[in-house]
Amino acid sequence: MLESQLESLSRDAQARIAAALTPDALEAVRVEVLGRKGALAEISRGMGKLPPDEKKVIGKLLNEAKTQLEAALEARQNSFAAAALSARLDAEWLDVTLPAPGVRPGSLHPLTQIQQELEDLFTSMGAAVLDGPEVETEYNNFDALNIPADHPARDMQDTFWLEDNYVLRTHTSPVQVRGMAKLGPELLEHGTPLLMIAPGRVFRNEEVDPSHEHTFYQLEGMMVDKNVSIAHMLFFMKTLLTHIFKREVTVRLRPGYFPFVEPGFELDIQCLICGGPGCPVCKQSGWVELLPCGLVNPNVLRMGGLDPEVYGGFAFGLGLTRLVMMRYAIDDIRHLQGGDLRFLRQF
Amino acid sequence: MNFSYNWLRELVPTLSTEPSDLLRLMTLKTAECEGLEPVGEHFATTVAARVLTVEPISPGSHNRKATIDAGSLGLRTVVCGASNCRPGIVTAYAPPGTKFDKTDISRRIIEGVESDGMLCSAAELGINKDHEGIVELDAVPGTPLPALAPDHIIEVDNKSLTHRPDLWGHYGMAREVAAITACPLRDPVNPALVPTDPPAIKIANEDFTRCPRYSALVIDNVKIEDSPLWLQYRLQAVGLNPISNVVDITNYVMAELGQPMHAFDADKLDGDTIFVRNANDNERMTALNGESYHLTPAALVIADSAGPIALAGVIGGNDSAIGPSTTRIVFESANFHAANVRRTSMRLKLRTDASMRFEKSQDPANTTRGLARAVALLRRICPGIRIVGGLADLAAPPKDTPAIRLEMPWLIRKLGRDITAAEVRSILEALSFGVTESGPGVFTVTVPSWRATKDISIKDDLVEEIGRMIGYATITPVAPATPTVPPHDNPRRKAHRALRALVAAQGFDEVYNYSFLSEETAAHFGFAPEAHLKVLNPISSDQSLMRLSLIPGLWKNIQDNARHYDQFRLFEIGYEIHRKEGSLPDEVSHLAAAVYQKTKEQGPFFEAKRLAECILPGCELKPAEARAFEHPSRTADILWWGQRAGRIFEFHPNYVEGRAVLVDVNLGVVESLGAADKRYKPIRRFPSSAFDLSVVTLQRTLTGDIEKLLRQHAGPQLEALDFLRQYEGAPLAEGQKSVSFRLTIAAQDRTLSSEEVAAVRDNIISGMRSLGFDLRV
Ligand SMILES: [Zn+2]
Repeated sequence: MLESQLESLSRDAQARIAAALTPDALEAVRVEVLGRKGALAEISRGMGKLPPDEKKVIGKLLNEAKTQLEAALEARQNSFAAAALSARLDAEWLDVTLPAPGVRPGSLHPLTQIQQELEDLFTSMGAAVLDGPEVETEYNNFDALNIPADHPARDMQDTFWLEDNYVLRTHTSPVQVRGMAKLGPELLEHGTPLLMIAPGRVFRNEEVDPSHEHTFYQLEGMMVDKNVSIAHMLFFMKTLLTHIFKREVTVRLRPGYFPFVEPGFELDIQCLICGGPGCPVCKQSGWVELLPCGLVNPNVLRMGGLDPEVYGGFAFGLGLTRLVMMRYAIDDIRHLQGGDLRFLRQF
Repeated sequence: MNFSYNWLRELVPTLSTEPSDLLRLMTLKTAECEGLEPVGEHFATTVAARVLTVEPISPGSHNRKATIDAGSLGLRTVVCGASNCRPGIVTAYAPPGTKFDKTDISRRIIEGVESDGMLCSAAELGINKDHEGIVELDAVPGTPLPALAPDHIIEVDNKSLTHRPDLWGHYGMAREVAAITACPLRDPVNPALVPTDPPAIKIANEDFTRCPRYSALVIDNVKIEDSPLWLQYRLQAVGLNPISNVVDITNYVMAELGQPMHAFDADKLDGDTIFVRNANDNERMTALNGESYHLTPAALVIADSAGPIALAGVIGGNDSAIGPSTTRIVFESANFHAANVRRTSMRLKLRTDASMRFEKSQDPANTTRGLARAVALLRRICPGIRIVGGLADLAAPPKDTPAIRLEMPWLIRKLGRDITAAEVRSILEALSFGVTESGPGVFTVTVPSWRATKDISIKDDLVEEIGRMIGYATITPVAPATPTVPPHDNPRRKAHRALRALVAAQGFDEVYNYSFLSEETAAHFGFAPEAHLKVLNPISSDQSLMRLSLIPGLWKNIQDNARHYDQFRLFEIGYEIHRKEGSLPDEVSHLAAAVYQKTKEQGPFFEAKRLAECILPGCELKPAEARAFEHPSRTADILWWGQRAGRIFEFHPNYVEGRAVLVDVNLGVVESLGAADKRYKPIRRFPSSAFDLSVVTLQRTLTGDIEKLLRQHAGPQLEALDFLRQYEGAPLAEGQKSVSFRLTIAAQDRTLSSEEVAAVRDNIISGMRSLGFDLRV
């Protein structure tokens, strides 16, 4: 009798669990069937009057029914929870293409970028990065570099003169002498070559137009050691330029006059546009003039406190402004110091 | 400097290298050639022709129809507008197909008459600038024009000749060409042409430093007329204007030998002596260009007994100039001190072909060579001349040119490639160096006079001579020894790089501004113009001062960009230039950053402050008195570790429309303060307690000050003090505000009891109240 009652109760409860449409309805079924005062509890209480062997059978059936119903109940609860979660997730739809709030990152000036890139390159080659003042004495800018007063070579560099006979440096070359004086003893006397660069702002008294500026950027480079040859300089420049242009470059040297080097050279690279046969960029010559360089003049070594009978070196000057213009195909030099965000934000 | 290929070939007679190849070789071995221009191509086909008949075409037209006899080309009909076109003259006839610079000649109909080519003026032929009439020649009809041939002009960059006085004439370049091509060089000078008789004119030289040598020769029976066409053409082709035979000869000698010369009309000179002396104070001279120059003793003059007749090495005087009636001349061929000529020419702003050459340090040995060449040329074009007396020549003793010791192993080390002693000798000898072998592998090299004035004095100079002649392309690159220690550190550059990255990541775009400032802008910002270092020769008046601040530059960037953007952020790292008595100015690196918003609302002050805190963690702001361009209620000093390290301010509304806040940090101060020493503190193991406090005070009491007081009263157990909010309005009285903080209290070694926490709190409250603050809990 209890047996059939249990069976119908169980069947009925299973049906109601399956039919419950809300978590509340499901809870009502649980209280009614599995609660402390629920139907199963009542049957359990009625079992006390049964003989022991029958009690044992019913007890077992009762436990089975309870386990089954609890499992059904939990499954149903889980499905409600899953539905609720998926409804929430759906409601939380975002338009991921909306712009992010906050400030967009700013930009570094292209001259900063190329300068840092070159500093890293030279540092990786073991070079010290030095600074020199933008306002120089006439002596440091010219005389110490073997360009005495009234020397026609002063015409090559139109100069801004300041009060007290100071000048705005016309090149980064004065750092050569400063660098030798500062690093020479420390390195050379221990048999280590001196390798240094000095990037920075330089000035020439020139009218400004799309291809001329009175303020531009150079990078001076110098190596001093006991036996430095033209062959060493060639190797260094070729390696350097291959890394700057990120491709193999062909270079050539031809005579060039700069009083602080002897011999002095103009270094040309084979035109990267046409590769040699000639094009408008290289004025049909196949070569593009890139930088001045040379073996350090013994007078300059002396100015730097070094004995030219013992030491020699090479030096070069790289035009950073020109390099930036070449790299980004900038057609007007004035943009670089124009402060126009429409230009600066492109980099 | 322009070089005529034909002229070079005259001096290197066996030269067979094509002009374009020669240009390449000269560029690689001697000096930078910038271009190659064909000139006189028309001379290839132009011939002499005799005018037979001339008849008018139509009334009122200056054009006439001429029949000409062009020799083997036969009789031709041409239309000619020249007034001197008349029967009997021989002129230049350019038949159809002749190439001129601008056009090619073709057969065409002019005013109904078919013109079979053209009769040419001297200007059309590129001989001089004379457009008046057609040239009149002494030549056989049908033959090419005498001594006029197509040529090429090689343009060499003057800068690459700065150190080479010898290359300011064709002969010097011909010497290079001869050495490069291994062809013999022909010297055009015959020194025997200058007689050694007693001179007909005296020279008195008072300054042998400024004038190491003065040579002169008197010539009579001179007839001043136009130079022959070949001579005019040659000068014109290299960019010198033909004037008259005597003047043209001085220019020809200069273009050929690099020796500037001058000719005086001997009959216009006062006295029998040429004085070389410093100008007197306030002396004046009217020069050949018609200008009157005011002189000082800084200038050297050539003078007769009446006064200056030339500015030494620069320009001749007008009063003694060669004119049509001149018959007796004095040729001057002198050597002047480079620096003095340069100073005079710079001071008078007068650069001439002569001064450009003298300032390169010309060779004193060249003066008499110049005279000899001039005599030869004058004889050729003016055969009736008579040399009066002999050479007048006053020279300082020649300077010693010490021989240079050149050791082969040293040379090879410098070049970085092998070379034989025989090669070295042959290269140097081809360039006219004297070479003797003073020991095994050791040469004693003497320098030719024209290279010894400034150009070559040390063995390093010889490396260039040998290197360029063997060709730098023959040197194989070799890896140098590399440093084996880490490079010298540059902490400032590292710091600047990190700062740039940081500020850019905060949304700021980097600008580079000029180091210059105008007096007007300085005044606008209230900076005293005299505080700035001045540029003595600015390009324009708006760049006459060196900047003392990056602020005006950014201010201009703000104005410019506000036209295109409603809001933006900018920064610059650069130097302020502070003048300093008795030494180079201080160049102080600064970082200036600006935030701009078009809106008039609260404005971006706190965004700028946040940037300041990123740059200088833990910095404090202290309200400061505003300068003219600063907002008087929104300006503060930025203190870092108690030092003034910068400034933050909103621009005064008179300066910027909208709102712009600027942060200016002195990186010099930051660098000197360095980074904080950091030290680990054990992590607290016991729980903390927190409570909130609100301080009611006057509206303009600084929150920073309240914070400081709270910290003081909280004592050592204060773990954290966090600003929560500030409030104004009811129920607070007008002019009051309430500032709320959360205070966290803890001990390192135990959990504080609630009584202990309450004691700290009470201490704060009573302390603050005693200072007049009202506290709400
Ligand atoms: Zn090309």
